[in-house]
Parts: sequence; structure tokens; C-alpha cells
Amino acid sequence: MEFVSPEGLRLDGRRPTEMRQLRAEIGVVSKADGSAMFEMGNTKVIAAVYGPREVQNKGQQINNDRALVRCEYSMANFSTGDRVRKPKGDRRSIEISLVIRQTMEACIMTHLMPRSQIDIFVQVLQADGGTRSACINAATLAVADAGIPMCDLVTSCSAGYLNSTPLLDLNYIEDSAGGADVTVGILPTLDKVTLLQMDAKLPTNIFEDVMQLATEGCKAIANYIREVNPVILIAVYIWPSLKIF
Amino acid sequence: MVGLSEGEKEFIKGGIAQDLRSDGRKRYTYRPIYVETGVIPQANGSARVRLGATDVIASVKAELGKPSALQPDKGKVAIFIDCSPTADPTFVGRGGEELSAELSGALQHCLLGSKSGAGAGIDLSSLIVVEGKVCWDLYVDGLVISSDGNLLDALGAAIKAALSNTGIPSVHVAAGASNDEQPEVDISDEEFLQFDTSGVPVIVTLTKVGKHYIVDATSEEESQMSSAVSISINRKGHICGMTKRGGSGIDPSVILDMISVANFVSRQLIEKLDSEISAAEANEDESL
Repeated sequence: MEFVSPEGLRLDGRRPTEMRQLRAEIGVVSKADGSAMFEMGNTKVIAAVYGPREVQNKGQQINNDRALVRCEYSMANFSTGDRVRKPKGDRRSIEISLVIRQTMEACIMTHLMPRSQIDIFVQVLQADGGTRSACINAATLAVADAGIPMCDLVTSCSAGYLNSTPLLDLNYIEDSAGGADVTVGILPTLDKVTLLQMDAKLPTNIFEDVMQLATEGCKAIANYIREVNPVILIAVYIWPSLKIF
Repeated sequence: MVGLSEGEKEFIKGGIAQDLRSDGRKRYTYRPIYVETGVIPQANGSARVRLGATDVIASVKAELGKPSALQPDKGKVAIFIDCSPTADPTFVGRGGEELSAELSGALQHCLLGSKSGAGAGIDLSSLIVVEGKVCWDLYVDGLVISSDGNLLDALGAAIKAALSNTGIPSVHVAAGASNDEQPEVDISDEEFLQFDTSGVPVIVTLTKVGKHYIVDATSEEESQMSSAVSISINRKGHICGMTKRGGSGIDPSVILDMISVANFVSRQLIEKLDSEISAAEANEDESL
């Protein structure tokens, strides 16, 4: 199947290095301490953050001097093209929950909130490829909306390699085409990679290009997030300076 | 998960007794209702309904199926509700399943009628394509995103809005198929039939707190309830279904009283909902 036309356009009319349209909104769940909706094209997710609060289940508390971060990823029944009723807690959701938790733990300043718990819940409303990235972006916004100190934003984006062309931000059709799929999460200001996942195989030199492309995508998302929510900018940047004092 | 002090509890109960609730409403006043349609483009129809801080999404997906042998002239509708952990941290893992099952059950009672399919709020005979052979199966999925009480009314309203937003593809049946064969059907990509939702009821839940009962209770008010009765009423004032929740018993005469109140409230609710749905659909058309 041809994923890039001779004119250099993808199936949905994008250029290879073009991202889908982004849309973000904070405060979508009024009962939560922080919440955000993030859309990447047709992929649409909601994240809600509860906490920091007292640890509910003392058994889960491993480190006494750090906050406990918990995460759950769930998909709505109507989120995929074919309606399937999935049981809760299947392997895929557990894996993605873990990925999101580890990524968020890396940027939340957990040592500032010992003996407390932060719950991050992400709900996929529509899945069209790149749910992992969209969930992380939504989670960052929600955590910032909750006023939880972070050392930096964390943004995520995927890139793939099909028809000998590196492609940014794969949609569902491109994602299931069987080519390589590299998901990258970065801390844009500190310039550090916190998440890196890839399936299928790629030559090393091409991998470099694809990863570079995904990183550029992450930076573009970070710029977008800062543009949409200047308040979050303050929330994120005050805290690193506090560390100096 | 509502933590209230004794004083707050008394304040809520006292306010209800004096017909002035904590948020300034009277006993029979709904919170402002907001409807947004077409939120899930992948579904045949969808709607998001916000009632104060309660926020739900309903989607309708239509699939071709076979009618059951008992009702060869009717399509099928199934309702599933999911409570997202975003609404309440206690819904994490399997925590929300009990409430989901309770809500799905109540909605099925209120909207779908008896086992024979008679008296259903949703007109099932309009879903038939070829009698006894092909019909539309509607899968109604509800998702609770944020919960601040009165989930059932909000879900009922969202399902009503999603159904009126639903376009069912028109189907051409190939002629000449013999009687026992499954007929070949051709689903159109362009022509859609609008679903008639004028008969779909709304659900009014009356929550009894102390001696009085209120509509559209918030979760604080729900925590003080003794029992709640959900009544689904259509435009004609017919009762399409009913469920009672909560432990304590209610006097039969009070129930009859509640029904007449629900009848009165439902008329205002249907009117408000209809205008919100048409406004939402006009809005959606504009943005396309």
C-alpha cells in the first residue's frame, strides 16, 4: 500500500513532517483538582488529576520521602472504529498506564510532597493512533492545571518510517501498517528524553532521523502548550527557581 | 466520596425544607443544562451533556444484525454505561462497575420497555430492514466523565440527544432473494435516515431528603438522601419506566405525589432539552 503519494502527500493529505491539528483545553472536569483535554487530529483524550492527597492504601507507599504517583489508562467503548467491549485492565492498558506513570514521575517533583499520593486518570474518547503521546500531553496539562510542581513540561510525539520516508505523528492507518513506530517523550527546556519506545526494526542511521523528527514534534507540541496556556508556563517555571533558593 | 460535617448536613437538609437549596435553587429547579452534539465523529450519533459539574457523553453505533425470533419485526437496542475514573478516584480498576451496572439497568428499565419490546421509549420497529432477517442493532454507550449527582437524568438526556443526532445509513435490499436465504444488503454511504426521537422519554429523578423531595440533586444532596425514584416520562405525559433506589421505604401516596411532580417537571425539561439539542445541532452544522 502506498502511504506517501508521488507528490509527497500522506493518506490524510499531510506532508511527511507535518503534525495533525492540535487542540487543548484545561479545566474540563470540574470536580477534579486538575484536568485537561488534548486532541491530536481525531485522537481525543481527557486527563484528570486528583491530589496531592493522603495516601489511600498505605501498602502502596514504598518511598516515605516521595509522593506516590498512580495512573490509570482507560478506553471508552466508542473510542475505536469497530465497537468492542473491552474488559478493564487488559495488558495493553496496564502497559500504557505504566508508561504514563513513569514518564510523569520523571517530571513531577515528588520529593516536595512526601507521604502523599497523586492520581492521574486518562480516558481515551477517540483513538486514531498516537494515543500514548496524546495521553502524556494531556496528563502534563492536567498536572500543571492541578498546580503540582514539575521540573519541566513533558511532551510526547511519535514518528514512523513508511515508503522510505520518515513520517511525523502517525494516525491509525499508518500506525497499523507494520512499519517502525518511535514514540518519544522529552523535557523540552531541560532537553532530556524521558520516554523512548520503538517497535519493528530500522537501520541505525534512519533511526536517528526518525527520532530527530519525533523530538522536533515534541518541541512543537511544547510550544503549542505554552502558547495556549501561559498560566501553566508560570506554574512550571517558578518551581525550578525555588530549588535554587 | 463526599465528606460533610454535621453542620453542613444540617444546612443542606434545612435548606431543602425551606425550599432554598445550597446553590440557590428551589426544590424543583434543574441546574443549567448544556448539550453538545457530534462530539464523537466515529459514531453514528453522539452527544455530551453537562448538568452543573456532572458531565456525560453518550454515543450511538448502529450495526446490522438479525432480529430475535421472538420479535421478528423489531430491531435491538443495548445500553452500556461506563464510569470513568476521571469522575471519581474510587472508580479505579473495577471500582466503578457496580455503579455502571446499576445505571445501565435503570436506563434499560426507563427507556427500553418490557421483554416483549412493547411500550419501549425508543421505537424499535423503525429499526427493521427486512422483517425476520435484517435489522439495525443500536449500541448506546454512555461514559461518565465528571460526576456531581443526578447521573441518571444526565445520561437519559445525553442518550436522547445522541439519538436525535444519529444518522442511520439507508439500506437497499437486493430483490429476488429466496425466503430462507439471508438477503444481500447494500449500505449507502451518503443517505442517512434521521431517527425519530420525539417519543424518547426524559428521566426525572426525585430524591427524597428529610420530608421533602428534590429534582437534580448534587452529590452533596445525594449523600443525605433516604431514597430516590427515577421516572421516565415522554412528551405525551406517559410513564415509560420507573426505578427506585436507596434503602428506606416510601409511602405509596408519596410515590403518586412524586409522579405528578415529575410529570410537571418533565414538561419543562423536555422543552429545555429540545431547544438545547436543536441549538447544538445548528452549531454543529455551522462549524462543518
